[in-house]
Amino acid sequence: MGNSSSRITAQDQAILDLKTQRDKLHQYQRRITHLTDRETQAARQLLARGDKPRALLALRRKKYQESLLAKTDAQLEQLEKLTASVEFALIQKDVLFGLQQGTNVLKEIQAEMGGIENVEKLMGETAEAIAYQQEVSEIIGGRISVQEEEEVEDELAALEAEVAKKEAAVQRLPSVPDTQLPVQKVAEEERHPRPAAKKAQAERQAMLA
Amino acid sequence: MSAPPPRSTAEDPNATSSSSSFTFPPEYSFPPFFTRQTNLTTHHAQLTKWASLVLAYCRHHRIFKLSLSGDPTTTTTTSSSSSETTGGDGGEAAGPDTTELFYNRRINRRLSLADIREVIDFLRRDGRAEYVTTAKGGSAEGGGSGGGGDVAWIYWRTPEEWASLVEGWVDATGQRGSVLTVYELVEGEGTRGSEFHGLDQELLLKALNVLVKRGKAQIFGHEDSLGVKFF
Repeated sequence: MGNSSSRITAQDQAILDLKTQRDKLHQYQRRITHLTDRETQAARQLLARGDKPRALLALRRKKYQESLLAKTDAQLEQLEKLTASVEFALIQKDVLFGLQQGTNVLKEIQAEMGGIENVEKLMGETAEAIAYQQEVSEIIGGRISVQEEEEVEDELAALEAEVAKKEAAVQRLPSVPDTQLPVQKVAEEERHPRPAAKKAQAERQAMLA
Repeated sequence: MSAPPPRSTAEDPNATSSSSSFTFPPEYSFPPFFTRQTNLTTHHAQLTKWASLVLAYCRHHRIFKLSLSGDPTTTTTTSSSSSETTGGDGGEAAGPDTTELFYNRRINRRLSLADIREVIDFLRRDGRAEYVTTAKGGSAEGGGSGGGGDVAWIYWRTPEEWASLVEGWVDATGQRGSVLTVYELVEGEGTRGSEFHGLDQELLLKALNVLVKRGKAQIFGHEDSLGVKFF
């Protein structure tokens, strides 16, 4: 049953066999439980009829069935432990396989890097190259030619001239008047409006009406 | 779909309905519902109502195989106590007397066997029923897959739907890569509370074969001890 390209291993078959055995024990337990219930019922009926010896026999049978039940419980426990151990062992195997694969990949990468000596040599060369570059930068940055010096001075003079121009423009602005505004007059006019203003207001109101 | 000769409820041991919790639709108490309607439109409506009643009844009682003659020994269900008390190996147990589905004692009307088959055929066309076939390939009571036998699968959940439920449970419980027995899936403590706990084993195998076709599972082992590995 199943696919032709089987993905079922020998371990899977072994687990199935263990689990099948467990299932059979479960079914057996169910059957025994049913029998013990029947024996109890029979004992009750026999006692009701006054048949004590047969009731006792039924209870003895029940006791025997219960002892079988206890045995199957122990066997079931063993089976379940074994099944769990096998399943966990398979998981451990997979974990170990994964670790092995990871280790192999790491080794391959390290081999591509050429070993520790190669890395140390490369790091040394890198440090030397950096030191050389810094030296070159210092040499270039430390010396300025006469021509460059003159250009810098010319630029400074141009900036100074620009600043002076701005200051001259600020000085040419008109001065702020220092005379006071006639504040009181305006206030009085607001309090006592002139007749002309009153007339204009009356006309405006008439138009609105 | 004519009415049978009157039968006294006193001589019937199952006179009281076993499905007090199942609510039959109003049309179940309507005598013409049990008589084959000649008008095509009415007949189609009648078949539709019967089909939905059969599905609802089977879902309520968790009936997977329905005996068309109403013999309870051939009707498989999963009641919580059935497998424990019988001490049987599988989840199959004598279900409720399904005569009450096609026979309304109160109005004394019965659906004829020919009409029951027509309802099953109607469900078959919809993919909701299938006649139970024997190992040789014929149906249980002869007549092939089209003619129909005496027992039919009622798919109130199709094998594809059961397959999705099983797959969901496998994902939820982290069982991918695990080997499980078919018995464990149906009767095990691990599946208690899941909808497929107590499912008919044959129906579970149909569902598992759907997963096999999808490449999500593989069934292996012997007939009496089948196992399944999920991928």
